[in-house]
Parts: sequence; C-alpha cells; structure tokens
Amino acid sequence: MKLINKIAGLILLAFAIGGCGKNYLSRPSNSQISSNNFYKSTSDLRLATASLYGGANWWQWHTYAFIPIGDALSGNTYVGYYGDFDELFTRTITSQNSIVSYGWTGLYNVIAQCNLTINGINQYAADSIPAASINAALAETRFIRGVAYYYLALDWGAVPIIADNTKLIQQPLLNRNIVSDVYKFVTTDLTYAAQNLPVSDVAGRVNTWSAQGMLGKVYLTLAGLGQNGTRSQPLLDSAIKYAGNVCQNSGISLYPSYYDLFRAQYNNVPEDLFALQWAAGVTWGNGNQLQQYYAPSGNLVPAGQGGWNPLQPTYDLYQSYTWKDTVRRKATMMLTGDYYPELEAASGGYTAGGTGLKKHVIGTAQDNNSPAMTAQSSIEDDAMLRLSDVYLVYAEAILGNNATTTDAVALNYFNMVRQRAGVDPAPMLTIDTIMNERRIELAFEGQYWDDIVRLSYYDPAKALYILNNQNRDVFTYSNGVATLPTSPTGGTIVPATIYSFALPIPAADLASDPNLANPPVAYY
Amino acid sequence: MKKKKRINVASRLLPVLFVFLLLSLQIFAQSDARKITGRITDTKTGLAIPGATITVKGHNAITDSAGKFTIMAQTGETLVITHVGYNTSDIKVGNGNTLNIELDIRSGTLDDIVVIGYGKVKRKDLTGDISSISGNELLKTQPTTFEQGLQGKVAGVIVQQISGQPGGAVSIQIHGISSITGSNSPLYVIDGVIIPPPSDPGDGSGSNPLNSINPSEIETIDILKDASATAIYGSQATNGVVVITTRRGSISAPQISYDGYLANQQLAKKLPTVNLQQFATVLNARGAVWGFDIRPQFANPQYLGTGTDWQKALFRNAPTENNTVAVSGGDARTQYMFSTTYFDQEGIALGSDFKRYSVRLNLDNKTTNWLKIGTSLQLVHIDESVNATASNVIQTALSMTPDISVKNPDGSYGGVTNTAGWVNAIANPVGLTAINTDEKHRNQVFGNVYAEVQFTKDLSLRNELSGNFDFNTNNTFTPAYAFGKDVNSISTASYSYGQNFYTVVRNYLTYNHHFTNYTLNALLGQEAQLSTFQNVAAGRSNFPSNDVQSISSGDATTATNSGTFGTGTAIESYFARINFTWNDKYLLTGNIRRDGSSVFPANNRWATDYSGAFSWRLSDEEFLKSVKEINELKLRVSYGLTNNQNIPGNTYTAQLTTAANGLSGNAQYQTNLPNPNVTWEQTNTGNVGLDGTFFNWKLNFSFNLYNRLTNGLLLQLPLPLYSGTTTGYSPGALNAPYVNIGSMSNKGFDLHIGITGFSNKTFIWKTDFTISHNANKVLSLGSGGNNANLSETSGISGQTDVWEKTVVGQPIGEFYGYIYDGIFAKASDFRTHALSANSAGIPYPVQQSGGIWYGDRKYKDINGDGIIDSRDETFLGSPIPKVQLGFGNSITFKGLDFYIFFSSNIGNKILNTLSVTQNNPQNNTNYFTSVLNYANVAEINPENGNASDVNNYYVTNPKTDIVGLRNDNTNYNTRPSNLYIENGTYLKCKNITLGYTFPEDVMKKAHLHTLRVYMSVVNAFTITKYTGMDPEIGSWNPLQAGWDYGYYPQPRMMTAGLNLKLSK
Repeated sequence: MKLINKIAGLILLAFAIGGCGKNYLSRPSNSQISSNNFYKSTSDLRLATASLYGGANWWQWHTYAFIPIGDALSGNTYVGYYGDFDELFTRTITSQNSIVSYGWTGLYNVIAQCNLTINGINQYAADSIPAASINAALAETRFIRGVAYYYLALDWGAVPIIADNTKLIQQPLLNRNIVSDVYKFVTTDLTYAAQNLPVSDVAGRVNTWSAQGMLGKVYLTLAGLGQNGTRSQPLLDSAIKYAGNVCQNSGISLYPSYYDLFRAQYNNVPEDLFALQWAAGVTWGNGNQLQQYYAPSGNLVPAGQGGWNPLQPTYDLYQSYTWKDTVRRKATMMLTGDYYPELEAASGGYTAGGTGLKKHVIGTAQDNNSPAMTAQSSIEDDAMLRLSDVYLVYAEAILGNNATTTDAVALNYFNMVRQRAGVDPAPMLTIDTIMNERRIELAFEGQYWDDIVRLSYYDPAKALYILNNQNRDVFTYSNGVATLPTSPTGGTIVPATIYSFALPIPAADLASDPNLANPPVAYY
Repeated sequence: MKKKKRINVASRLLPVLFVFLLLSLQIFAQSDARKITGRITDTKTGLAIPGATITVKGHNAITDSAGKFTIMAQTGETLVITHVGYNTSDIKVGNGNTLNIELDIRSGTLDDIVVIGYGKVKRKDLTGDISSISGNELLKTQPTTFEQGLQGKVAGVIVQQISGQPGGAVSIQIHGISSITGSNSPLYVIDGVIIPPPSDPGDGSGSNPLNSINPSEIETIDILKDASATAIYGSQATNGVVVITTRRGSISAPQISYDGYLANQQLAKKLPTVNLQQFATVLNARGAVWGFDIRPQFANPQYLGTGTDWQKALFRNAPTENNTVAVSGGDARTQYMFSTTYFDQEGIALGSDFKRYSVRLNLDNKTTNWLKIGTSLQLVHIDESVNATASNVIQTALSMTPDISVKNPDGSYGGVTNTAGWVNAIANPVGLTAINTDEKHRNQVFGNVYAEVQFTKDLSLRNELSGNFDFNTNNTFTPAYAFGKDVNSISTASYSYGQNFYTVVRNYLTYNHHFTNYTLNALLGQEAQLSTFQNVAAGRSNFPSNDVQSISSGDATTATNSGTFGTGTAIESYFARINFTWNDKYLLTGNIRRDGSSVFPANNRWATDYSGAFSWRLSDEEFLKSVKEINELKLRVSYGLTNNQNIPGNTYTAQLTTAANGLSGNAQYQTNLPNPNVTWEQTNTGNVGLDGTFFNWKLNFSFNLYNRLTNGLLLQLPLPLYSGTTTGYSPGALNAPYVNIGSMSNKGFDLHIGITGFSNKTFIWKTDFTISHNANKVLSLGSGGNNANLSETSGISGQTDVWEKTVVGQPIGEFYGYIYDGIFAKASDFRTHALSANSAGIPYPVQQSGGIWYGDRKYKDINGDGIIDSRDETFLGSPIPKVQLGFGNSITFKGLDFYIFFSSNIGNKILNTLSVTQNNPQNNTNYFTSVLNYANVAEINPENGNASDVNNYYVTNPKTDIVGLRNDNTNYNTRPSNLYIENGTYLKCKNITLGYTFPEDVMKKAHLHTLRVYMSVVNAFTITKYTGMDPEIGSWNPLQAGWDYGYYPQPRMMTAGLNLKLSK
C-alpha cells in the first residue's frame, strides 16, 4: 500500500513538472522593445522619429559619401592617398568604388528605417494618440525619406523605389524606376510633410518650412529634368511658390554670423531648416565622424585620433572667392597662417600650417566643453538645408529661363546672403552668378555637385563646360600667394561626358540583382 | 507569472531532494545464502580470467589472478558474470557449492549498447543509422576537445577544424548541409545534458562551449545520422545528434587510474615570405618604376641581412600537458566514477593558451528494488587567452615586412617608421601579444539528476532534470603604445561578465515486453527546455599607467557599460516511440514528436516530427543461416521528417533599440526587418543501410545511402544593399530578415569497413576505413528565382567583390569570379585578347597610366562579347569536399601497439586570401617569394625604340602570373579569379602512435595493475597542393565556407604519455 502511494506520488509529480504554463513559449526580448508594444503614445512616436535625424542609419552616407560626392566630383576638393576618393576626383569611378557604395547603402539605410517607422505607426499607433500627432510623425518620416530619395535621384538618376521594405522578402529583385518617377515620389512625400508638419517645433526638428524649402529646391531641380535649354515654367512656378513662401512668410531669418553657423554651440539656429543631429560619446558607426576623417590635422580632433584623409581645397574653389569674401572663406577652408582661436583653445588657438578644411572642424572635447565628445562623435549638427540655400533657390527660380534678372525680390534675397557674408550686393543675377554664390555659400556642404547636375538636366553643354574647364590642382599658400604644383594634382583627369552625371550602381548590387542593368521602368 | 515559475522550480527540485534522502538508506537483505566458490576461464584458451565481476542480488565479487571467486548466494538465484571484452554470462545457482564458468570472447559489436535517445538498444536491434566510437578510440589522437577526435573516424560525418587555437572549435556536418542559417551543427547531448553547439564567433575569438568536456572521461560517442534515429530528439536534431556517454562506475573494487601526457607543438608549415634582401630587391625595382617610395637604405640589397622572419618571431614551440586521475568502482547497490583533470595547452602563436581544470562525479544508486537514482555532474574551470586570434596576429605577422625589427635596440617594440609612399603603419604582432590582454575565464557546471521508477517488470518511469550553467568573464586591456608610426595614444580596458543557464526537465515512461515471438518497446514522454542569459560589460579608457588595468583606474568620464537579461529560446515537446521486433528478424520503429518553439510567431509555433524505420536481419533467415561466411547481415530502411528552428527569437516582429541621439537624448530605432511569416525548416530524410559481418567476424562493414531534402530553408536573407538590410557588418543597416527561402538536397553515401587482418595470441592487425561522399544541390531559392544568388562579398582585394554565389542548380556557397588567362606579354595580346572595360562597356585604353599595360592579367572572355566585365564571371568550384576519407591501422604485437591514422579531403576548393595581397607587388605589406617573379616589362629596342610606342615592349617572363610593377590597377588585377581559388585536396597523417604495455609479472612486482607508455605524433605530415598554411579550413557559415583568411593553423604535436592503473 505504501509503495503504491509512493508511485502515485511520483506520477503526480511527473505531471506537475511536465505541465508548461500557457505563456511558456512566449518570450519577448528583455533588452529591446517589440514594435507591437510600441507607438502607444505621442512620446513613443517622438522617440521613433528622433532616430531618423542622425545616428547609425545616416552614418555611411554622411561619413563617406556626402562631401566626396558633393565636393570632390564637382572639383572643390581633393584628398591624396585614398584611391576611391581619387576615382571621384579624376572621374574614373568604377562600380566597385566604396564611396559610391557607402552613399548608396547609406541613403537606402535611411529609407529602410523610415519605411519601417511608417509601417510601425500605421500598424500599431494607439487610437488614443491625437490624429495630428500621428500625421506629424508620419510627415517627419516622409520628409526624411523624401530627402534621401532626392539625393539618390540627383546622384544616381534612375533608382529602385522602395516604399515598404517588408515586401522585399517576397519580391527582392527590383528594377530601377525612371528618374521622373523618383522625383514624383519625392515631391509626394515632401508635399505630405509640408501639409502635416507643424509651423514650429523644438530646435532641430523639421517643420513645415523645412518641407516647403525642400520642395522649392526639388521643384527647381525637376523644372530642368528632360528639358532642352529652358526649364519648365509651371515647375519653376512651384519652386517660386514654395521657396517664396518660406522666404516671405516663415518669420525665419538668416543667422547674423556665417562663421558661427558652423560651430557646435550654434547648433540648430532657426536658419538650419534641416540638420542632422549627432550625439556625443557614441561608438564607431553612430556619430558625426567628418572631422575625424577630413580635418587637416589629428591635433584638432579629440584624442588626436583623426585627420586621416585631410581634404584640400582646389585652386578652382579658392579662386571663386573674391578678395572681400573672407568670412565665408575662413569658415570654409584654412589657408596657411590662418588663426582659429577657438580650435585647440587651451594651447592658445590653432594656426593653419597648410591649406585644409575648416567647415565641420570644431576641435576637441575641451574646445567644445563636451567631455563625452570623441573623435568618432563630433557634436556638430550639420545642416542639410539652410535658409540661405532657400533664398538662393528662390532667386534662381525667379531668374527662371531669363538670361539675366534684376527682379527686386530675387535681388533682395540674393543680396541678403551676400550681405551677411560682408560682400557687396549684386546689381543683376545670371545663372553664373547664382551658381557661384551657391558654390561659395554652401562649399563643403555637399551641394555643388547637385547644382551642376541640376544644370546638366537642361543645359548639359554648360555643365560639361564648367567641369572641363576647372583648375582642380591643390595649391600651397604663403603670404597671400597661392602657388600651383608642378605636376597636375591627381594625375590625368578624365574629361567629363554626358555619362558623368550619374554615379554607377554599386557592383555588389549589380551582381545580386541583375535586373538593375535593365532599362528603368515606370513606378506610377 | 514570475511567482508561478518559482513554484515550478521548487517542485522540480523536490524529487531530487527526495532521492538524496533515500540515498542514505542502505538495505542489506539477509537470508539463507551460502558460500559459493568457483573459477572463471576463457572458453577458447582455457586461461583464467582475473578481474571478472560476479553479481547476485545484493552481493558482488571479483575473480582473483587465478580466476577464482567466492560469493554468498542461494539456490535458484542467478549469478551474472561480466568482464570487458567477454559476453555476459548468466548462471543459475544449483545445489552445488562450486561453479566452473567459461566466458566467450565477445565477437563483433552486436551486443554493444547503443544510445538511441531516451533509451538504449543492443546494436543488433538497431533500425536507425547510428555510428559509435569508443572513448579509447577517440583518445588515440590526443584531441584537446572531443570533436577533434571524431575526424575521419565516423563515416558520413565531415569534421573540419575551424581554428588551431587551443580549445578552438571544429565544424561537424552529418550527411551534408541541410541549412544555410549558419550553423549546421548537430545537437550535442552529454549524459542527457544538451550543450549548445558552438556558434559563429565572428572574429574567431569566441570560446568553444564544447571544450569544457574532457575527452578522457568519455565512454562512448554515438552519432545519430538518419531521421529514424534523430526524430525523437525533435526540432534541434535535424543536423544529427552526437550523444556522449561518460564513463560510469561498475560493480568492482575501486579502480584507480592515471592518464597523462606531455606534448610539444610546433608550426607545421611556414609560408614563403620574402627575406630582407628579396624585399629590398622588389622595392628597388618598384621604386624605379613608380618614381617614388625609393628607400636609400635598400640601395645595395646584397649587403642586407635576411631581416626579421615574422613567422619565426610569432610562432613558438609550445608545450601541452594533460593529467587525469580517475577512481571508479561500486557494489551492487551503488556505483561511482570520480575523475579529475588538469589540461594545459600553450598555443603555437604567442598570446594564446588554454587551461582546463575539471572534476566529474557520476553516481548510480539502486535505492530500492523499484527505484534507481543517480547523477552525472561536471565542474569545469577554463582559462583561455585568445589574444592571438582577437588581435589577428597571424595575418598581421604575415603582413609585416622583414625590414622591421621585432624589438629596437632600446628594448621597445619595433614598427613601421617610414610611411612614405603608400605604406601603412601595421601594429607589431609580437608587441601586441606581449602587451595586450584578452583573457576569458569560464566556470561551468553541467550535469543531471535522475530517478527511475520500476512500476512493474515492464513499465518504468524516468524523471530527469538536467542543466548547463556557464559563468564567464572576459577582460581585455589595450595599453597606449607606439610601434614606430603605429601609435595608440589611449589605453582602453573592458570587462564583461555573462551567465548562460540552460535547463531541461524531461519525464518519460518506457514499456518493454517480451512476448513469445516478438518484443514490444514503447516510450511516451514530455520535455521542456529553457535557456536564459544575463550579461554586463564595462569599459574605460585613459589609464594612468599600463600597470594598473582594473576598470576603476581608468578615466571615469570615459566609462561605458551595457547589459542584457536575455530570454533565450523555450521549447516544449511531447514524444512517443514504438519498437517492435518479431522473431529477432524483423524490426520496426516509429517515432513521433511534437515541438513548440518560442522563436516563431504564435501561429507557426508548433511542428511535428516523425519517422519510421524497418530493418531485416537477413542472416537469421534460413537461406543464409547455412552460409557460414556470413556472421551477420542486416538491411535497414528509414524515412522521416524533421523540423529545424535554428534562428534567434523575435525576428518575426520589428525590434526597437535605444540609441543616444543628438536631438532628444534618446531615440528608438529599429534593428531588424521583420518577417511575420517565418516558420519551420523541414527536412525529409530517406536512408537505406546495409550492415554486415563476414568471415568469422573478421570483416565488418556498414553502408548507408541517403537522400535528404530540405524545404523552407531558413536563412537570414542577404538582400541587395538597397534593402537597407545586412547579414554582416554595415553600420545603420537593419538585420536582414529570417526567411524560408527555398529548398536544397543532399545525396550521398558513407561506408565504414573494419578488417581484422590477422590475429593470434601475440599479433593482431586491424584496419579501419571510412569514406563519406555528399553532393549538395540547391533546388530552389524561392521568390528570388533563378536570379537569386545569396552572394557574399569581401574587401580582401581592396574593393568590395562578390567571391561566392549560391544559385539554383549548384551546390551551396560556390566560389565565383573570373578565369585567369595569362598576362599581357606581347603587343599582339592587346589586339587578340579581350580587354577589361568600364561600367559603360568601353575597354580601358592600352597605356601605362590609367589603362591596361604589359604585365596586367588577362581574363577569359566567357560570353565572347570582346570585353571583360562582370558578365565574364563564372563558377570556380565548391568548398565542399567531394569525398572525405579516414584510414587507420593498428598493430599489436605482444606488449607493443602501433597505430597510424590518415584523413583526407578530396575535391574541394579554398579561397586563399593571403595570396591576393601577398602575391601582389602593388601591395605595401609583406610578400611571398613568388613576387620576385613579377612580370618584367622590357623595351624591345631600348636604344632607339620609342618609349611611348606600345609595340616597343614585351614581358621577359611571360609564363608568370604575378603582375608587373606599376602604380596603376586600372585592369583590377586582384579581382576574384581562379588564381586565388586553390585545390584543397589533402592527405593528412593525423596520428602515429607507438605504445608499450608492460608485462603482467613485471607489474605485479611493482604492485601495479597495468602500465602502458606511448609516444605519438599528431598532424605528422600533410600532402597537399594548397599553398596556405593548412588546407583544413572549417567554417561556420556555409555561404563563406573555405575562405582562408590566415587562420590559426593546426600544430604538429609530439607526445609522450602513460596510462597507469594502480589496482584492478
């Protein structure tokens, strides 16, 4: 009897041990939030959209591609000892070029993050969140996605449009979409953003003026697409409408000091309509590493860990400044002997020992009073769209298809940009004066290549003429005299052709998706 | 929920406490037993058998040297006589008091016990495809970890070492690759404890969880290969199961043994790097062409010495020692095995070593006549230095040029001092190993406790609780240093602590009944598995001195920390099995198992595995019984379906991670592209086998033919870059989704033959031969269709290239690239041979700068369009061996024993990445001597010819495949090509051992039982055409199999050791 009791006990025990709880197989992560448990409040939405302004998803494009493409391809700058960079400079770009690959991957990383955020909000946003907050979050996301596609369209032309990355699981191999459809996708996103973003938000976040300024720029670009000699007036009018609205009605004005715009303590002044936001103390692959790569000296970078690929301005860029244009020149590039009191401030400031980059170089952790700042985490929030850019877009859109203009509005905004820089106002505008102004005002902000591509859409001969008549040599500078090298910088530079305006699709993607080699198809 | 869990744990511990209480009860049943004496002899020789065990209910005895024994027993009881190497004999006690018993030498392996998962059977009753290897066989190669010892020993199992780092892991594939999720590792079960298979350590520095198992404690390893054998283990067993049974005590007097060896390891093969004179010669010639990077100190190479041999500087002769003391024994009620081991292996590369301290206790207790309890318990402590691998010193040493000294005259470490030209400052690898710290320490407890209840003669219940608890730390310190121009100005340190807990509760009922003509064996059970982990890590930089390395001494403002409470996978399972044997001739097995896994979304959480097998003992049929050459012949047929769930948890939903953000302090960003439809990967396996023993047990073989078809292949899908996802390193990209993408087949056969060539009392010769062949083929890649290719890229050539593709119709992970077609050696080559072209399809010009020139490489124009571009790439061979062979011979002559073992891979390719860089004269690190044969471009008419005339040049050594000296790579000479994809076929003499066992009478005088001394050489020699260090390149990732990045080579090891038994 006793034995049977024991047996019964053991059997019971066995079953007690065996029964698993109902939730035994449900094991959410303890270190990460699942999207189906997120997006429950407005503050959740704000945390989700905050990640779109910088950090890892922007990193590849920002670190490696945006200045090399924007400023080296266009003849503003050169860096030695870096083959892939040389390929951009000498126009011998292969499809294996890593800068091209970083730029492509980086922009699509941003797009993937945006698309997942849109999915997350659409699928999981709680009913209790006000519709305006949901729409504003979607608008922020679509603004950033629109910007990323705008860069892709400008730099590569026809590219695949991905609006929902989860669909790639079923359909991974895409065709390229025709470039006008990529622009249409951009304007659709930006229009939604312009309509749904607030008039103002906390510093650093985009608002409706950011979207409208961007729309103005995109329409100005689009106005020339596929045109011959002249631009499409209706699209120019759209550019005038949006850019003009920002110029006239936003209540935002230029920040008085051009020089201070590029110092970290003036991050996110109202002039910065859209700037990437970078945190101090983050690890490799998450921060602003521009000065680590491109500063003229490692001493200017926290812990001396930087200045790996020091950028040198070309003679062509140097020449485009007038003698009076010192504020912008000094804020953009260093010439031998230039003194920067705020850099290496503890040891009495920095005196440039040669020519080099200044913009984005903000100095060490001590210079910025930011103990957490490291070489790979500069705290500079660099602007992707500034009000002065929109002013110049507005002026160019008013110039439109005229050879010259003395339109008072155009001159007014154009000259506000010049005035701030301490140079004389212009009496009359042409496409050349505007392009030159943009080049100087926005040098090392990755813009000049975009300007040339914009021009190439409707006047390729002129764009080619500009590219093929540059003096791309780097120079030495002493006592006010720039001396050219004896042999041409970068060796033989291949003359630009009509094919030079689109970057190659990275070889890795051509290999993994042979459809990319097919002619582009319509998206809409 | 939390509370409930705790109660569960408590209730699970109860039976354990209960059984330990019972342990203290010792029942000595006494009755009218009388003294029985007897003698045990060998049937054939008639000689006495000492050391045999005689058991009868409650008593046991052991025969003395004359084979005599005395035991208490009563009439009608059964004496069970056991001795190693003899068939067990049951003798009923009659009326007499004296018994003379003869034992038969056990022939063949038919009565060997084979573990089949939740049970055991005799080999003759086996229906599935299971190979077994004994602990003694395993130890013959002195493996550091047990998996190393399996190489070439088991047919159908491909074993390849991944790293020669002490304690490093090997990859094991059973019957091919059925999964592309990375791991094709089998399930490892040691005494019922599941050990997680080693996972891809990424940089190769990860610890191998299997290295905590001490090979000398292993009794047998059973390798379950076909579905009928593995299905009972369910969803983790798709890639086979390796069941390890450790030694347990037997009924005998205490047996004390000591096993130990000392070994010396050395680098088996040095790569042919240039010496200083050769280096200077190349650089001088190159400088003359380049017009810069001319080094005045190299002006007269003949006066230079040989310079630094960095391989000599980095590699050393390294000692290894192993000491194991074991005590085992027991009586009829309790058996024990206690073993303790110290193992210490220094790596042949500086900065690597491995130490293992382990204690094992195995206990079995027959508590009452209906209850048996026991435990297997191992405590391990491991110290590892993985600095060599983590700091990548082997690759670095091969990159260091001979002009750099290891140490400067002032005692500091040397380094690159002149970075003119394009020279990189590389860290001094010897310096790195000396000053960097990267140590891993691990304490591990694993084991089980069980209680077995015998309800009736036929029905029993087993409750088992097993666990694997692993506590590990990793500390690193990188001091501030300056090796010439390679300067690290900031010291950094990190420390991490992690613990991994893995627990299993299982309960199963077994019913076993012998009817007149048939036997029925049934199993019904349930199992729950849970793994969890916790870790914290901290780091600081800026230490005031390199001598204080604790985290707290660093700069507090640089402190970083992180930590996770991980919820690993949970699996809940129910299973059943029926074995049915009719007349000992026809055997049937059926398995079914239902698994629920937490890694899948709720709607896909459960899957069913099943299998069936039939086997037929032909030799028991009347028509074969008369054929006396055939001792045994058995045909096996099996089929089954298993499900695989080898992916991380929570991939079916997007996960958000906290990141520092310049905008709001914090932000949440998504880390993965979710696949809400991810589900189980299914493998169908069919197997036909034939086992036979012939010619008076002298020849035995086992042959298997299999076909495995995997559907719904789980893969972290490599998508194009535009997907914004990655499977590797790509900052800011989302983790690629896990997707069921297609199907793949593995077809193959394996054969094991064992021959006793000759045997008499003094001389025995045995041969073992295994051959395994597997053909892998991808049948479908789902929605990607024929264009999908799962390509893998690498930047080894300086640009990102695809080196591997997996496409429908080809085996997984084939190499891909161009076919090398000689060099441009004469002017007509430029006209007759296709030139490489830019992305617009326009061939590059023939010119010295910015074009194609003499000494550039020609590639085959495969599509015949007159230019060389990506359309001329093709498949260059598979990294999977077509055949793997093992061949062993053992000879015993009186006390002497000799063993020699070979293993071989045939028909695989290896990507030798070192030859990409080190055979390229444009490279600025070190070279192999083959670079001296660079294409030498000369003018046809140096006096009067036009230097700018393309036709005025030729290459003086047109047969070379080394490119010419030029500061231009427009032709992209280092592009993926068959020049770098080498033949990986090899024959390795894995082991040669010579041993001597001292005669019994000598031992008696010394009061010892047995003593054997031996010497052996492991990895004695390798015959191969492969030019890298070691053609054995194991891999975790089947998409990157056979990529040799300069792995840690396997050392040659010379060993002297002894096996000593103090008492019987």
